[in-house]
Amino acid sequence: MKLNTVGLLSGVLFGGILAGANLHEYDTIHSMLRLDDPYVFLFMGSAIMVSAPVLWWLERRNTNTPFGGRLSLTQAKPEPQHIKGGALFGIGWAIAGTCPAPALVMISSGAALGLVAMPGIFLGLHLRERQALRELGVAIDARDEIRTHA
Amino acid sequence: MFDLLPDQLPWYVAGPALGLLIIVLFVLANQPLGASGAYVQTSGLLRRRDGITMWRVWYFVGMFVGGFLVTQVFRSGTELRSGYGALREVFPLGVVVPMVFAGAVLLGYGAGLAGGCTSGHGLCGTAQRSKASMAVTATFMTTAILTTLILRFATDGAL
Repeated sequence: MKLNTVGLLSGVLFGGILAGANLHEYDTIHSMLRLDDPYVFLFMGSAIMVSAPVLWWLERRNTNTPFGGRLSLTQAKPEPQHIKGGALFGIGWAIAGTCPAPALVMISSGAALGLVAMPGIFLGLHLRERQALRELGVAIDARDEIRTHA
Repeated sequence: MFDLLPDQLPWYVAGPALGLLIIVLFVLANQPLGASGAYVQTSGLLRRRDGITMWRVWYFVGMFVGGFLVTQVFRSGTELRSGYGALREVFPLGVVVPMVFAGAVLLGYGAGLAGGCTSGHGLCGTAQRSKASMAVTATFMTTAILTTLILRFATDGAL
């Protein structure tokens, strides 16, 4: 089996589980965020409760993976961009009633407005990527300027 | 087509199944199930950039396929519709379309800035006990609930 096959199958299973849980429906997300129905909290919470202890155990016993070397978990410290990005993400999530993976399932479930949500997500990610590249460019220019002056 | 699955799986089936999928992808490839990363790679491929992580593009394609299998094949199948149940009952299409698009741009930008979305940070990052992911998740849950509350007041409780 190739890594691309693993990617495709993971996508099929993830999309299938999201569709099975109706996460592609605006009403599912909306009733969670209105705090009317705990379904999505229980869904996400139980996924974390199942995976977190197993991942911890697998990392501790130095598991080797066929495609990604030794299994190692990423633990980052919170930075300002996590809070800013998270805050904007949450506002958009509540307005659009969907997030990146469920928006794709929305389209394949036959809901036409998914075709409005998906390009919007692409555009938002693209705008951030362009901004990040510009910031990087400014940093490189500044460094070159210091070098030429030195 | 076949009507094999209920309209909504119980959370105690769907949630643990997703937990197992997260474990399997770590065991096979040491990778999180991040959906916004799949968008970034797919958009890079469409713009003919170099250095694309191809398996994330296949993962993007797979999400469509999985959604299609469950909603159209394993269930009785749905008709072509606009979607957005409650939102469509409150607002006409002329309001819903720009609203959904603006919300989507905002959440895409936010996911880019935070380095992940509900799947990458909310599920996989938290499952890895990453403090950054926990901070992102707590922040987006808070602003999403507050935004929903504001929308509820703005529409006199209709939304």
